[in-house]
Amino acid sequence: MQNDPRFAVNRRQLLTLTGAAGLTGLAAACSGPGTTTAPSSPEGPDTEGPAEGEVSFAHWRAEDKEVFDELIADFESENSGITISQTISTSTDYEAQALRRMRGGEIGDVAPAFRGTQFESFVESGLFVDLSDTDLVSRYNPSLITVGEQDGKQYGFPYQVVFNVPIANMDILESVGVQESPQDWDSYIEMLEAIKAKGITPIAFPGADAGNAGQLFNAMIMNIAPSDDMCTKIQAGEYKLTDDWFIEMLRLYQQLGDYVQPNAGGTAVEPAEQMFATGDAALLSTGSYHIASVRTLGGEFPIDLAPPITSAPGEARYVGIYNATFILGINSASDVQPAAMAWLEYLSTPEIAARYADGTAQFASVQDVEYSNPDLQAIAPWLDKELALAPRYQFTDLDMRLAVEASAVDALTGTDPEQAAEHAQEIVDQRIAAS
Amino acid sequence: MTAAATPSRRRRLFRSNRRVPPTLFLFPVPALVLYVTFFVIPTLQTFQYSTTNWNGYSADYDVLGLANFQRALTGDLLFTNALTNNLKFMVVVVIGQTFLGLLLAVLLVRNTRTTIFLRALYFFPTILSSVSVGFIWKFVYDPNFGVINSTLGALGLDGLKSPFLGAEGQAIYWLAITQIWFHAGMMVVIFIAGLQAIPAELYEAARVDGASKWRQFRSITWPLIAPAMSIVVAYTTIQSFKAFDIVLSISGNPPSSSLDILSTRIYSSFANAEFGYAATQSVLFIAFIAVITFVFRRFLRLIQGSES
Repeated sequence: MQNDPRFAVNRRQLLTLTGAAGLTGLAAACSGPGTTTAPSSPEGPDTEGPAEGEVSFAHWRAEDKEVFDELIADFESENSGITISQTISTSTDYEAQALRRMRGGEIGDVAPAFRGTQFESFVESGLFVDLSDTDLVSRYNPSLITVGEQDGKQYGFPYQVVFNVPIANMDILESVGVQESPQDWDSYIEMLEAIKAKGITPIAFPGADAGNAGQLFNAMIMNIAPSDDMCTKIQAGEYKLTDDWFIEMLRLYQQLGDYVQPNAGGTAVEPAEQMFATGDAALLSTGSYHIASVRTLGGEFPIDLAPPITSAPGEARYVGIYNATFILGINSASDVQPAAMAWLEYLSTPEIAARYADGTAQFASVQDVEYSNPDLQAIAPWLDKELALAPRYQFTDLDMRLAVEASAVDALTGTDPEQAAEHAQEIVDQRIAAS
Repeated sequence: MTAAATPSRRRRLFRSNRRVPPTLFLFPVPALVLYVTFFVIPTLQTFQYSTTNWNGYSADYDVLGLANFQRALTGDLLFTNALTNNLKFMVVVVIGQTFLGLLLAVLLVRNTRTTIFLRALYFFPTILSSVSVGFIWKFVYDPNFGVINSTLGALGLDGLKSPFLGAEGQAIYWLAITQIWFHAGMMVVIFIAGLQAIPAELYEAARVDGASKWRQFRSITWPLIAPAMSIVVAYTTIQSFKAFDIVLSISGNPPSSSLDILSTRIYSSFANAEFGYAATQSVLFIAFIAVITFVFRRFLRLIQGSES
C-alpha cells in the first residue's frame, strides 16, 4: 500500500487522537454511580395485557428444582402461551447479585427475596411491585406475611416457613426418657447429660459454617434478651454485647460446649448432618430445613424439634423459632407482568403449595394447606405454639450479624465469654460509627 | 537520501517515512474498544466509587473524599484482620510453593520415565478446579471424618488431633497448605524449564574443579534460575492475594474470620450493600499487591546478586 499524503497521520495527530479517546473514556468512567436504568414505577402489577410470554423465575433453591419443574410443567399445560424458566443461583450469589441483575429485567420476572436486608433493598430500589390490592393477600396466613410488608404495602409473600431450631432424633431422646423437648434450661442440660452418658454425641454443631452455626443463636437469645427487637437494638447501639444478659447467654453457650462433638469449631455442615443421620448425634443444631437432606442420607428415625429454652421453668416467653422467607414478588422491570402474576397466583393456591411443601419438606405460608409428608405432619403442631420470628434476621448489616454470632460460636468452642463479647462489640461499634 | 542532506531535511524525511496508512489504525480499534469498555472505564470508576458511600443500587450517594480509606486503614477490624490473614497466607504460600517447587524441580530435572511420570503426578492438582480442591480439602481437614484425624486416631495419636479450619490461630496456615498442594506442580514445570536452560558445560567445569553438589547449586543453579524464580515469586504473590473461590469452597460463604482474606472481605462488602467501601478496599488491594510484588522482586535480585 502506498502512503497517500492527504491521509497521512503524524505523531502529533496520533497523540491528539489517543488523548481524545482517553478523555472520552475518562468522561464515561466519571458518570455517577447509580445512574443505570431504573425500573418503572413500582405501582400495582400490570394485569391488563395478555398473560403470555416467557417468564423467568429466579431463585436460590437448587434443591427444589425438580418439584418446581413438575409444577411448571402442569402450569404450562394449563396456560398455553406462557413458558416458565428457572434461573437458579447459589443463595450467596443470589444475595450478592440478584438486585443488580433483576433491575434491568434481564432475569427474575418472578423472584423471591430473603427476609430482612435483601427484601428491604428490593423495595427501596423499586424492584418489587405493590401487591396490596391483589387477591393474593387473602390466600396467605396473615400472621406470616408481615415480613413481606413495607410502609403499609404488601410487596411480597413469604412462601416457606422453617423452624430455625435444633432437630432431634426422637428414638435417642426417648431412650433417655424424654418424650418431648424440655421446657427449661436445667432439664435441657439434664437431657444432654443423659445422652452423653450413653456414649452418643448430644449435639452435632457445624461450627465451621457461619451461616448454619448461627441458627442456634435464634433460640438461645429469644428468651434471655430484654426485648423482642434485641438484634435491631444491638445494631443501633442501644444494647451492648457486654451487657449482663448477653454475657449470660454466652455462658450458656459455653455450657453447651461440653455437649457438642470434639473440635466442633472445625466441623462443616455436611459432616454434622451425617453424624445426625447415622445416629451418632442426637440433635442437629441447624433447623427443620435439613430434615429432607437427613432423610436422603438414610436417617429413618422420627424427628421433632428440640429448641434450647434458656429460662427457668414456666418463665419462657417463646418455646421455639420460625422464619418466613423466600418472599415472592413481581419484578417492576418485567415486560411479561400478566404472565408473571399468573404464575404467582398458581403457586399461591393451597393444592400447589401443598405439593411444593410435601416435595421439599418445607412448610408453606399459604392458608388451608394439608400436608401429606409425615415429617411435616409430625412438626405441624409447632405452628400453633408460641414462636418468635427468627431474631438473627433483624440484623440488616451482615458483617455485624456475623460478628455477633461468631462471639457465640467462640464461647461455645472455648473462648472466655467476656473476651468474645468485647471483641464483637468493638466490631459493632466500628460499623455503627461508619454508618 | 544523500549524505549531503541538511538536518532539517533529514527530520522531514524521517517524519515522512513514519507516515502510516490510516486504515492500519482500524486494526487495533476492536481490541481498544473492548479494553477501554471492560477494563479502563471500570478501573477508573472503581477509583471514583471508592470515594463515595454508594450502596450499589440507589441513585443517591455522598462523596466522602478519603474517609473510606481512613476507615479501612484505621477503623475497621474486619479489614485489618483480612489483611493480616492475607499476609500470613501469602508468606507461607510464597515460601512453601517456591522452595517445594524448586526442590522437586531439582530432583526431577532429568528426563527419565519415572521423573516424567512424577512431574505429571505433581502437576495433576493444577488442572482441577479450585472449587473441587476446596471440597477435597474440606473433607481432609474435617475433625471427625477427615483422613488426617482418622489416621492419627488409628495410630493412637489422639492428642495430635486438631480442629484444623476451626482453630482460630492456625486455620489460615492449613488453607495455605492447600494452596501449596494445588499450585506447586505448576511451579515445578516453570523451574524445570529454567533448570534445563542452564548450559551443562557449567556443571561439567564445576565438577572438574571439584565443586560439591551444594556448591554447584549455590554458584550455578541459584543465580541462573533467577528469571524463573522471579516469575514464580511474582505469580505466587499475586495468586495468594487473588485466592477467592478456594477460600469460599473450603470455608463456606461468608468465611469465618480466621479464613477471611482481602478478596473475600471485598466480596462481603459488596454483598453487604457497601459498594463504595468495597471499591475502596479494591483500590487498597491493588496497591498492596503492587508494593509487595515490587519488594519481593527487589529482595530476590539482592540475594541472587550477592550469591553470584
